[in-house]
Amino acid sequence: MEADLKAGFKDKTNKMLGYHPEDAKLSKSYIAVAFMALLVGGFLGLIQGLNRAGLLELPTWFNYYQVLTAHGLLLILVLTAFFTIGYFYAALSHNLGGILPKVRRLAWTGFYVKLVGFVLAVIPILMNEASVMYTFYPPMAAHPVFYIGLALIVVGVWLCCIGAFIQVANWRKNHKGQHVPILSYFATGVFVLLFFALMFVAVEVLFMIIPWVFGWVDTINVMVARTLFWAFGHTLVNIWYLTAVSAWYVVVPKIIGGKRWSDLLTRVVVIALVIMNITGGFHHQIIDPGINAVVKFMHVFMSLAIGFPSLMTAFALFAVFERTARRKGGKGLIGWWKKMPWGDVRFLAPFIAMLSFIPAGAGGIAQSTNQLDQVVHNTMWIVGHFHLTLGMSVVMTFFGISYWLVPFISNRVLTPQINRLGVIQTWIWTVGMIFMAGAMHYVGLLGSPRRTSYTTYGDHATALGWDPYLMCLAVGGTLLIIGVILQVYAVFNLMFFAPKGETEFPIAEEEDNATKTPYITERWGIWIVVMIIVVAMAYVIPLTEFIVNAPPGSPPFKTW
Amino acid sequence: MNQSFYGLLLWIFLVAPPVANFMESVMVIHMHMQMPMLVISGMLMARFFQKRFSGFFEKWNSNGVPGITLFVVIMIYWMLPRTMDEALTTPLVEGFKFISLPFLAGFSLRDSWKKLNPFGKNSIIVSFTVLFLGLGWLYIWSPVQLCNNYLVIQQVTLGWGFLTTAIGMVVYLGYNFFIDPSAYE
Repeated sequence: MEADLKAGFKDKTNKMLGYHPEDAKLSKSYIAVAFMALLVGGFLGLIQGLNRAGLLELPTWFNYYQVLTAHGLLLILVLTAFFTIGYFYAALSHNLGGILPKVRRLAWTGFYVKLVGFVLAVIPILMNEASVMYTFYPPMAAHPVFYIGLALIVVGVWLCCIGAFIQVANWRKNHKGQHVPILSYFATGVFVLLFFALMFVAVEVLFMIIPWVFGWVDTINVMVARTLFWAFGHTLVNIWYLTAVSAWYVVVPKIIGGKRWSDLLTRVVVIALVIMNITGGFHHQIIDPGINAVVKFMHVFMSLAIGFPSLMTAFALFAVFERTARRKGGKGLIGWWKKMPWGDVRFLAPFIAMLSFIPAGAGGIAQSTNQLDQVVHNTMWIVGHFHLTLGMSVVMTFFGISYWLVPFISNRVLTPQINRLGVIQTWIWTVGMIFMAGAMHYVGLLGSPRRTSYTTYGDHATALGWDPYLMCLAVGGTLLIIGVILQVYAVFNLMFFAPKGETEFPIAEEEDNATKTPYITERWGIWIVVMIIVVAMAYVIPLTEFIVNAPPGSPPFKTW
Repeated sequence: MNQSFYGLLLWIFLVAPPVANFMESVMVIHMHMQMPMLVISGMLMARFFQKRFSGFFEKWNSNGVPGITLFVVIMIYWMLPRTMDEALTTPLVEGFKFISLPFLAGFSLRDSWKKLNPFGKNSIIVSFTVLFLGLGWLYIWSPVQLCNNYLVIQQVTLGWGFLTTAIGMVVYLGYNFFIDPSAYE
């Protein structure tokens, strides 16, 4: 009897908090995999950084390029994908009254398909048969099993996308005329982008790379393959970014005790990022041969267009900060900064992440300009830029999210000790990234190449001049691994050892006098059609050119 | 500052010789960017005239059918390879393009679309889908150069532009067919 009452009470609190134990288990599994990937990938990153600085000689059976490939795969594909899916499924579950059983089954199937795919991809890397660095980047060719593994990861992610669509459609049927709750709206945008971006890479892998690496065809059209790869690759980067942005818009205002800025603006930003993202892929090929100047010129516009919603985001967020701080009694032009909760890791980490997006975004704009990119393209600058955007803006936001999401899905609470640990971790990570990404940017300007293990080019004076910066890079990398260890410790502590209790899923409310959002924002059918047409505008001209006036095809190359 | 003014600005921008020359230098940009943007500029400007001459539109386009017919005629005229060629070689025809697309096609589309019933709207989209598929097929697999001013490769590119746009419209039609908005709204 007492047990029954207790159970009934527990169910009720769970319901009040929007907590669904079975969905929480799903999200917990995804997040656990993500942070295990961070741990392993982080160590590989350290090894790489130490080697690059000339401090560590790697054995022949585990060389720099293997480490690079595994580091990239773990952090770019596993960490981000698993975190994004775990986070958004938690949001869908919380917002939409629990995940439907069939959707949960899809997500679990996706989980295992991805894990199998991942194991298949790792085996050839360990055997030094797949040190291709860029996963799908002909003419470098890996062992066929590597691509089959990656294709399975794609299928797994697709299953999660379809699950999310079913979930949202079902909710909308039962809630006529209502707007999808904002975090689920972000989830919809992210899954739409994932679904379509993966199509490009699926075409590349299934119809081009697999026949080529198995030897069924002799050559591959490199330009087409790379273009398809970047249509996916660039979008993937922006998917992580959109995931981080969702927390900035929705979660951070709640944590600082404020309200959400314009609901309409938020939804417009999501739509704009969905429509314009895939077309941005081309700026990654800005110094590739075989693309004429007119097309490159057109793509400057297409790439810079993506900057526009980011600027809207910056405006909205700082407006929220200022309003909230002033409401709490902050005064003066900058005095209100004192009113922000600097000691709360759930705010501090995403806030520093946002700040870092200012130089990161500016660097991105520089790189989408042909002449400027000529200077930095194949240098460490790009690596620095990537670490600043992904490693800082995105991953730090993910860290910040983990301090409330992990307790929420584990039915535990964030203790002051772990919060303090998180603040320390945030600062270590920040300093580490400033050292590492800063040194990478600078040494890139001096000409140090990327994708290369340590070399002095026969003690050439220029190459020797890079050494101090590379040492800075190693120092940063060492700090970062401390950050990784602290972070992984915090996550697993919150998951399994922190005191039991209820944690809130922080979703900020709209401003009191908010204007009503027009229903057109819910018409995903229209936005997807617009997206397809915009993608056609970007890709029809160059792809037709590459196919009709194809360069000679390339056989597979193994450069390592 | 209203939408008609923005429409006028867009139209002036599109007509400006450097912009027009650039857009006309690539076949697919000429047909799939400049021409639709001219129509859009007209649609934006139409608001001003709709307010000013509401009686005129009410009298001549009360159910939307005359307007949409004019729109279709103008659009089909500009889809003939010959007309696009002439717009490049004969200034008078180019002038007609800059006038007809916004002020005849754009105006009438804006005024007619809301007046049409769902069947009428879908019929228009279906016809344009079929037309685009046909033109895509023509431009991609035509054994000869259809426009004197453009290379065959540009023609093929335009063909793929037509096909992908048609795919976009098919997706939209499918969405309209399978999804009943009233179940959600």
